[in-house]
Amino acid sequence: MKKKLISVCLAALLACAALAGCASETESDAQEQAAAEEQAEEAPAEEEAAPEEETAAEETAAEETAAEETAAEETAPAETAAAGLNMIGEDKMAQMPAEGTDFSNFKIGEMESYYINDGGWCQANHESIVAAMKELGIPEENLILLENVDDYNQAASQTAAEELVNEGCNLILACSTGYASFLPEIAAAHPEVMFAQWGNKVDNMIGYEIRSYEGMFLAGYASELLSQETNPELGFSASANEFSVRTAINAYALGAKYANPEATVRVASADTWYDIDKETQCAQSLIDAGIKYMGMEASSPAIPETCEKNGAFVVGYHNDMSALAPNAVFVSHMWNFAPIFKNIMINAAEGTATANDFYYWGGDCSKLSDFAAFVPEEVVTQVNDLKAKIESGEVKVFGGEIKDNEGNVLVAEGEVMPDEDIIFQNFFVEGVSTSWKAAE
Amino acid sequence: MSTALLISIISTAVVYAATVLYAAVGEIFSQRAGVMNLGLEGIMLMGAVSGYMVAVYQQNLFLAMCVVILVGAALGLVFSFLTVTMQADQTVCGMAMLTFGTGLSGFLGKSVAGVNADLAFEPIPIPVLSRIPVLGPSLFSQNILVYLIYLIIPLSMIYIYKTRAGMILRALGENPAALDSAGYNVYALRYAYVIFGSIMTAVGGAVVSLAYTNFWSDGMTSGKGWIAVALVVFSAWNPLTATFGAMLFGAISIIGIDVQTLFPSVPSQVFAALPYIATIIVLIFTTGNFGGRRSSAPAALTIPYDREKR
Repeated sequence: MKKKLISVCLAALLACAALAGCASETESDAQEQAAAEEQAEEAPAEEEAAPEEETAAEETAAEETAAEETAAEETAPAETAAAGLNMIGEDKMAQMPAEGTDFSNFKIGEMESYYINDGGWCQANHESIVAAMKELGIPEENLILLENVDDYNQAASQTAAEELVNEGCNLILACSTGYASFLPEIAAAHPEVMFAQWGNKVDNMIGYEIRSYEGMFLAGYASELLSQETNPELGFSASANEFSVRTAINAYALGAKYANPEATVRVASADTWYDIDKETQCAQSLIDAGIKYMGMEASSPAIPETCEKNGAFVVGYHNDMSALAPNAVFVSHMWNFAPIFKNIMINAAEGTATANDFYYWGGDCSKLSDFAAFVPEEVVTQVNDLKAKIESGEVKVFGGEIKDNEGNVLVAEGEVMPDEDIIFQNFFVEGVSTSWKAAE
Repeated sequence: MSTALLISIISTAVVYAATVLYAAVGEIFSQRAGVMNLGLEGIMLMGAVSGYMVAVYQQNLFLAMCVVILVGAALGLVFSFLTVTMQADQTVCGMAMLTFGTGLSGFLGKSVAGVNADLAFEPIPIPVLSRIPVLGPSLFSQNILVYLIYLIIPLSMIYIYKTRAGMILRALGENPAALDSAGYNVYALRYAYVIFGSIMTAVGGAVVSLAYTNFWSDGMTSGKGWIAVALVVFSAWNPLTATFGAMLFGAISIIGIDVQTLFPSVPSQVFAALPYIATIIVLIFTTGNFGGRRSSAPAALTIPYDREKR
């Protein structure tokens, strides 16, 4: 009995020690960071000399971002640009097929990493393809769709791509960045088939991306217009710390600041791509902190749902989410690939497409849904005016002066951030409060 | 820490615990009867999707729960047929249940993915009790499925430890041959408990899609079935201990997000690691071998009963 008691006490002590260790590490971490910040102001170059006692979590995070960076570097458009990237300008958005182009035998293959009614990414992709085909009068049966082609399962994905080639597809649209690691090989083996790949430009394939920050900028602007009188602080429910998510947060914050220089954005992050519990709690914790309007970059409908329950408002993401939470979603940021797909289809059918083509389009591609009926008319007008200014080039979303949230100047007055820096964002702009660290 | 925040944390932890506890209590009964069902995640998803589909198409929560119970019973029947009658390997069958449930629920749920049912178990504040500061709004302003689990936990404790039927249940998992010679039908009893466990699990899934959140999305239980399996072992097959485990795990996994916005200078990964630290600590206490205490796992767990073998 005595022995048992002693061992229980020992275990309890151990557990307490572990907890205390963790707590003090967290504290020292905060102190270290504060110290690092001070140092950074004086000598930013010395920042990399990190203290030894970094927490394991931070180390893994650093490793992850490092891995991410290498992956990004391998396929960065900047590098391939040197290899003769053929940028297709937004002026081609209005291009129509030449007289006599016959689409009746033009077959399109579609690879989706998940199901086309996922209420998110794949749905947006699929709807865009269908819309583009409709506009060009391509018969529906010319589309061969392969769903749930898991991009983590390379063997299955390769088979899927081969299958589409065998079916006689003229154009294969690979709608997830995960296929980039092996599709170039298949594309090289079948030069008669055009392949297009979402995300960073890779060899032998057309690349396409969307300037989604334009829509997020407008969304942030609209949120702040609606929120500024009650609370200039906005929220943002984010998924994982990745450059596309950082871009969304920054664009949202810049839009808010365009409406009101005093605006700030508080980020709650689930640190995962999909987790209903955590996403719910992200939205809930922002609401508990008194936030009324928030943006989101997450996959499940949990955030709009939570806002609806609590009388808060949110910008839907991926698709028009108003049907899910009609009183909370006041507008949605939508992916609209239709103009890009339409252009790719025209060029592929007419034989003018090359594997070096790259699309980086904004405007209608990065659009907002219709505003909910409860949004005041003047806010809608203001947002539309700003949209016109972005399209005319009068307002640059990433035009200077932009500071990061530690006070460093990122873009000087009068300058504009280069595209590759916009795509691979590694900072948080002024006014964003987050526990994420921009990767070093 | 503000009161609102505290209420928010406790109340989310309670709902989280409820989703996991239905499955965990069901599995405790099933395992105490000697059958380990590892397919909880699949059954939960089937419960979640079937309940949500009925809610969307029939707009009737009572009907939805009836269907969920039937679905749970049907899956339990299949599982017990395989493991009790056919005496198939329980681990393999559990995995089959998992893949089957996950796949089928995704297929069935295609039509309701992204559809708003506009119908859910709404919170019902209990008069008087809900006015207690902090505990009132967090514990007594919940939906009916959460209140039900408040009742199920003590009832299952009484059943397992204080009734004759509970004693038979424990014997079923420890020494089914003895029960058989005492004239009990081991097969029928095992069927009953496995089906009961499966029903509870399916209801747990319905809590996710009809009470906790209000939508269907493929794979939405995101691992809750596995957490339930883990809780059963943590708790040493005791529903009350499982309750504390579920509350602890729920609170710690969500507290990270609240603390994040309070202390933005601490990397969020630190908080994300908290549930796992807690898991290890709980594991030490519940399954550690202190002073030669033997494991409390039912002796006949995963062993199919065969009358011919004596």
